[in-house]
Amino acid sequence: MQTLREQIGRVPVWTQTLIVGGALLAFIPVLSEFQLSLFTEMLIMGLFALSLNIVLGYGGMVSFGHAAFYGVGGYTLAIATTRLGVPVLLAMAIAPFVSALMGFIIGWFAVRRANLYFSILTLAFGQLVYLLVFQARDITKGDDGIQGLPVPDFLEGIVPYFIFTVGVVMVCFVLMRHLVQTPFMLTLKATRENAERAQFIGVDVRQQQLMAFVMGAFFAGVAGVLMAQHNRFVTVDMLFWTTSAEPLLACLLGGMYTLTGPLFGGALLMLLEVVTLRFTSYWSLLLGIITIMLVLVAPKGVLGWLKRS
Amino acid sequence: MPIESVVVQILVGVASGMILFIVSAGLSLIFGVLRVINFAHGSLYMLGAFLATSISMWLVDSGLGFLGALLLAPLLVALLGVVLEAGLFRRIYAQEHLLQLLLTFGLTLVVADLVRVLWGGEIRRLPLPEWLEGSIRLEFLGGRRFRTYDIVLIGVGVVMALGLWGLLTRTAWGRTIRATVDNPEMVSALGVNINTVYTGVFALGCWLAGLGGVLIAARSSVALGMDAQMIIQTFAVVVIGGLGSFLGALLGALMIGIVVSVGTLYPQIAPFSQALPFVVMALVLIVRPYGLLGKAER
Repeated sequence: MQTLREQIGRVPVWTQTLIVGGALLAFIPVLSEFQLSLFTEMLIMGLFALSLNIVLGYGGMVSFGHAAFYGVGGYTLAIATTRLGVPVLLAMAIAPFVSALMGFIIGWFAVRRANLYFSILTLAFGQLVYLLVFQARDITKGDDGIQGLPVPDFLEGIVPYFIFTVGVVMVCFVLMRHLVQTPFMLTLKATRENAERAQFIGVDVRQQQLMAFVMGAFFAGVAGVLMAQHNRFVTVDMLFWTTSAEPLLACLLGGMYTLTGPLFGGALLMLLEVVTLRFTSYWSLLLGIITIMLVLVAPKGVLGWLKRS
Repeated sequence: MPIESVVVQILVGVASGMILFIVSAGLSLIFGVLRVINFAHGSLYMLGAFLATSISMWLVDSGLGFLGALLLAPLLVALLGVVLEAGLFRRIYAQEHLLQLLLTFGLTLVVADLVRVLWGGEIRRLPLPEWLEGSIRLEFLGGRRFRTYDIVLIGVGVVMALGLWGLLTRTAWGRTIRATVDNPEMVSALGVNINTVYTGVFALGCWLAGLGGVLIAARSSVALGMDAQMIIQTFAVVVIGGLGSFLGALLGALMIGIVVSVGTLYPQIAPFSQALPFVVMALVLIVRPYGLLGKAER
């Protein structure tokens, strides 16, 4: 007797993703512009959380500086289009690679140390990027942020942008899903479970971790580009450590050892943020309280917790 | 660049490095005994600074604003530390690192917003008493001036370093702490209440963070965001010096203080002086991945 789960598992990932994506698009006629915009943001946060999960869930590396790559993606797009006159689409395509390059630089240092030190280093380097962007007013306009990002004609308007976001997130999801089944990801999981043993059987642990870190940075860059383009502005908040906390919390909320969990966790968190900010500006306070409660009450993640009971 | 200017900047760097040392020593001490990295350590430092400004306002008529703040604010922070340890941290010692870090990170976010609610976003200062204002002439450096308060800071730093060293190596409580680091079960089996040791060490670490906050409040401005600024600097210190090492914390803090201070002499570097600690940290990571005084872990 097959369970429903197993039956769903037989359907190819592409088809599954297309069905979900199609279902999302079917909502367009019934949703208001505000709701569509909210859905877009939820999807982007979901992608951001998925990108961290490559590092956190599969690599077992607790990064507290993931906002750096999200923000660098957004800022690359903003600076390239508004100051350097790079065509929008080209800038959108390049930006994630700049994030990946940043991931390589920070990761090169961070993977030299394991566990706690890795967390310390990612947080320190993440905040360093924030400080540099904050202080380099000539280029980044500091805490004013950069406004007025140009939008290509075909993405003008909320509905086309929503469709575009659904498409990009779907492609990224499928890419990540395939990555999970590659020998690379399996090796990475092995390093997560026992780095010493992995090393004994000939795995270059640091190199594996660095590659995972760079991949995570790349997809975080994609999320940053999507968000910057959606808002048509970037601010230093994108790089601040509160932003690093959000995907972490999303992974915890959704369950970090699952593939789809972080996507839902991220979407849920974004919904909560948007709703909260309509009533009060103390989002950071609420985020902190949720984090503390989650750690004390449901450390395996709400989804993982529901699954068990 | 005249050599006298550089020497003065080095002294200024030692003074600011001492504050960094006091805060980092607290973080390092808590890690050494409890094995938890407290991301909220910078928040406790910020609380110390904000409390100090309030206490000094409250005591302004008596003329004891600064001394009152210096005595009371770190104590209040230590008291909060007792509550936090007993209420939150004690539940997570056995948990994996991720959960410990997330808990303290959550605390950071909570404190940041609470400070915003309680004190608001305006920039504050802790006024110095008259006898600490002003500066002295250093004749041997061509008559260059050096702030009196900075001399006091260097003194306080030396006293704290010696005091902590004495506490850990020359007192019964220090022996218990060192024994706890080596083997908590054994210490517990010998009839020592381990929980009290943990609470005490945590409170002492928080007291140091609060003290650092008061000391900085009288030197530069008190504002939101100082928590993040400090925690990443202390992280740079412990990466440079090695976590859990007092001497390492002192060395790392002085290095960072001096490099940042001397960096301000050069107009090309000055705007990015905040980044200098991480340049030092990165260099140390390349040369000695486990810190200057650290040992390879596991």
